[in-house]
Amino acid sequence: MSEITLAGLEKRYGDTLAVEDVSVTIDDGELLCLLGPSGSGKSTTLRMLAGLETPTDGEIRIGDEDVTDRPAYERTTATVFQDWALFPHKTVLENVAFGLKMQGIGKSERRKQAREMLERVRMGEYADDDPMNLSGGQKQRVALARSLAVNPDVLLLDEPLSNLDKRLSEDMQIELREIHAELEETFVHVTHDQDEAFTLADRIGIMADGNLVQVGEPNEVYENPKNRFIEGFLGDTNFVAGEVERTTTESIHVETELGREVDLPTTGDADALAEGESVALSLRPEVLSIESTDVAGSDGNAEGEQATPVRTDGSTTNAVVGTVENVLYRGSTIRYSVAVEDTSVFVERTVADSGAFDAGDEIRISWDGADVLAFRDDGSRVDL
Amino acid sequence: MSGTYSPSALPAPIARLWESLRERSRSKRALLLMAPLLVFELLLFVAPFLILLRISLTEGSQDLRYAPGTWSISGYGEVFSTDVLVNAITYSIMLGLLATAITVVIATFYAYAIWRSEGVVKSALLFSVVLPLLTTLVIKTYAFMPLLSPNGTLNDVLLSLNLISEPIQFVPGTVGVVVGQVYIVLPYAVLAIYSVLATMDWGIVEAARDLGASRPRSVLEVVVPQAMPGIIVATVISFAWSVGAYAAPGLLGDGQNKAQAFALVVEKRLLSNLQWEVATAYAVVMLLLMLVSIVLLTAALNYFGGEFEYA
Repeated sequence: MSEITLAGLEKRYGDTLAVEDVSVTIDDGELLCLLGPSGSGKSTTLRMLAGLETPTDGEIRIGDEDVTDRPAYERTTATVFQDWALFPHKTVLENVAFGLKMQGIGKSERRKQAREMLERVRMGEYADDDPMNLSGGQKQRVALARSLAVNPDVLLLDEPLSNLDKRLSEDMQIELREIHAELEETFVHVTHDQDEAFTLADRIGIMADGNLVQVGEPNEVYENPKNRFIEGFLGDTNFVAGEVERTTTESIHVETELGREVDLPTTGDADALAEGESVALSLRPEVLSIESTDVAGSDGNAEGEQATPVRTDGSTTNAVVGTVENVLYRGSTIRYSVAVEDTSVFVERTVADSGAFDAGDEIRISWDGADVLAFRDDGSRVDL
Repeated sequence: MSGTYSPSALPAPIARLWESLRERSRSKRALLLMAPLLVFELLLFVAPFLILLRISLTEGSQDLRYAPGTWSISGYGEVFSTDVLVNAITYSIMLGLLATAITVVIATFYAYAIWRSEGVVKSALLFSVVLPLLTTLVIKTYAFMPLLSPNGTLNDVLLSLNLISEPIQFVPGTVGVVVGQVYIVLPYAVLAIYSVLATMDWGIVEAARDLGASRPRSVLEVVVPQAMPGIIVATVISFAWSVGAYAAPGLLGDGQNKAQAFALVVEKRLLSNLQWEVATAYAVVMLLLMLVSIVLLTAALNYFGGEFEYA
């Protein structure tokens, strides 16, 4: 059993609070990604798990054992470090065999096991090389083999892919997934790269300012963010400021800087927001559809004053008209920056979509009110 | 000299000559850059040594320190005819090995401590290594007299704690000589090892601990092999200096130490006996022995994982 429990983990360096409160249970065999910006405390959390830092407060349990005060060398964890930390004066094979040597396994046996592990990460032919002569990707594989060779209960990965180029990093992500599936060990992977986290993770833990803000499956944290920070951190979105105009049992009307009212349909709890309260609405580019005003505007509605059409399924569609300010080609997608009243919104469309717009074009942006998330001033999400 | 023409456009022999000229001009520049160092070495090391060698090959003289212009190997004859040489070699090598072993062990721990400490502590540790270098050798060596003599501070402390019943004579004596010699060479050894450790990544020690190496084991497995070049330099400095030790045995040694330390054997014949041909013969023999032992020492250390290059 190698279920991991972190309870109220805290780490201070003098007056600096690196980790304030991290509490989570990581299931046996799970791959948990700790995702967060630099300085959010994710690496410190991982180092506490490894035993390389002692928590100021809180408890770490691996399996049934309290390992909080146990040093790194007495824990059944193994870490893959960001800069790989290979031993420079040892050969690749000796590096991989090191952990086994520390376990007191005989020379021929540990060399045999290390060689097998090197084969597994496809580095067999480099066994006798100096690790310092390897490329980044190769060092990465050796570091992985070295950590896996001790057959740890928990493998900790501290941004191991951040020093690799994009393509290599993506290949390694897939390989890591395969190795994880094969070994059925618990992995905790720290990264600041959300693509990496979404690719790898069974569950993602989002960290901000030393706190574990939300833990959930990738689609859950993306679609149901707990607060404004997560909504802004994961993917790209437009935050539009507004003020609650009036609330009814079916919807909340928000006066926004888009120059018109935006309707948020609610499923009952109309008291979620008070009238006059200010809110931030998140309009993700993928929920925004765009079309030329030549087509859409033909129904005669004046700009910014379109009535909210109610669809047959009862959901409401909101729309605004704006002017394309900027066109940004991003390979497979094109991003348009659109001026709408006093603010600007960006929208995206895939290259394959027909009809491109140029700067100066007027376009109509519409969305389904149910796809809009709203956040209070303190960052908490409004439960609609 | 224009860069436009290529050697292949020239007849082969001329191209070859051109190439070799270019080659030579490059090495000439290197020679020029090294000139100050070469002149320094020639004037202050090679020339005096040649004079010393010449004196060692003269006859002795009743009136003068040696008989200039004569040729003789009587100096070497005297060196090899008494057991002074064997005693001096034994004593000096023993002192060298003992002082070196103690110095390198302490220096390794000390350098590790500097490396691992931070802020004020690190500055304090570094400063206290450099501080003795600012004091002259004689004064800092003499400082051990009041500290270690029979009525000195250490004996007072040991007596008052009832750990000993009567004073121990550390100085003058062999203990004092070893302590004094270690104190003289320690700063150089610490700095040599620390300079290597300072470039080392703490991450690999963490990696070793993470893979199950205990604290002492991780130092032994990862830090020591990495620090080996520094440890070798420290060893060579300590050994060479201690074998030829002059101040420590001269100031802190008893009669026996003074009669056996190589440098003091030479000094006695140079200044008291006025037998320069004998004194210089001792010096030449000592120098050769030093060279041989340092070559052997570095070879042995290289065998244990160092990467010390002579060049």
